[in-house]
Amino acid sequence: MKVLPTTCPSCSSQLSVKSLVCQRCQTEIQGQYELPLLSKLSLRDQDFIIEFIKASGSLKEMARLMGLSYPTVRNRLDEIIEHVEPAEKSRKDGKEKKV
Amino acid sequence: MTETTANIKAANSNRLLQWLFNPFKFIAGFKALLLGLAVILISGFVGSFSNTHFDGVLDVHTGLEAPMWFFLAEGVINWICMVVPLFFLGLIVSRSSLRIIDVLGTQALARWPYLISAVVMLPDANRRVTGYLMSTLTQNAPAASIAPIDISIFVFAMIVVLLMVIWMVALMYQAYAVSCNIKGAVAIATFIVSLIGAEILSKIAILLML
Repeated sequence: MKVLPTTCPSCSSQLSVKSLVCQRCQTEIQGQYELPLLSKLSLRDQDFIIEFIKASGSLKEMARLMGLSYPTVRNRLDEIIEHVEPAEKSRKDGKEKKV
Repeated sequence: MTETTANIKAANSNRLLQWLFNPFKFIAGFKALLLGLAVILISGFVGSFSNTHFDGVLDVHTGLEAPMWFFLAEGVINWICMVVPLFFLGLIVSRSSLRIIDVLGTQALARWPYLISAVVMLPDANRRVTGYLMSTLTQNAPAASIAPIDISIFVFAMIVVLLMVIWMVALMYQAYAVSCNIKGAVAIATFIVSLIGAEILSKIAILLML
């Protein structure tokens, strides 16, 4: 399957979903849907989050599994938090504007 | 050579470089602390045979005769003097939650190039050349002329020691960047401030031990 693009190749703005399709009956829904927060992250970040969940949220266990030191894994998580925070803020701001 | 083999070789050489210049990506905490402490104590022990003192965070000097405990204490003082300012500055500028064990461990391990310095300072030729230079500098007549081989060994040792100082500073910086999660200009500035502070602090502490 192709990688889901999350930013516009022309102006680098966030993309949204216009159409959804049922793969069984081909029903298509048109609209304007925002991408889920986690899907806006890079594949590398998403993989890390999946591994983090699989390790029950233990950075020590993550470090052991990845063969890295604890601070390296913690720094990686902090880096992802830095990516998530602005996306979360802009989503909250968008919701407030709608209200 | 296939592309996959080339990729594996590139990854391996990259990993080797990381182990040489940023081993803290793979090792920190208690493991690094144990290894680092061992390295510090062994460096002091080896240094004691040639009266090589690590009398300051960055210093390597020979000459002064001292009991074994003094050589061991110098290493521990240098390490602690570096950890204290780095940890406190790290607490101020880092957004991550820091663990003192990581700072202690990585900074201890970062001192391992000084073990090589202690080893290259072992040959007696270094002591003879240092003695000759000191007597020349203090206007006394040199006791004996110096053999060319002694000078060669001494020059080699000085080059190695200089390279080890540079390598150790690079490792100490990487240790700080990884253990405190600080990057860029802030990391460089706070590291330099800590290094200068630690150098002064360690000099005073070691002088007080004399």
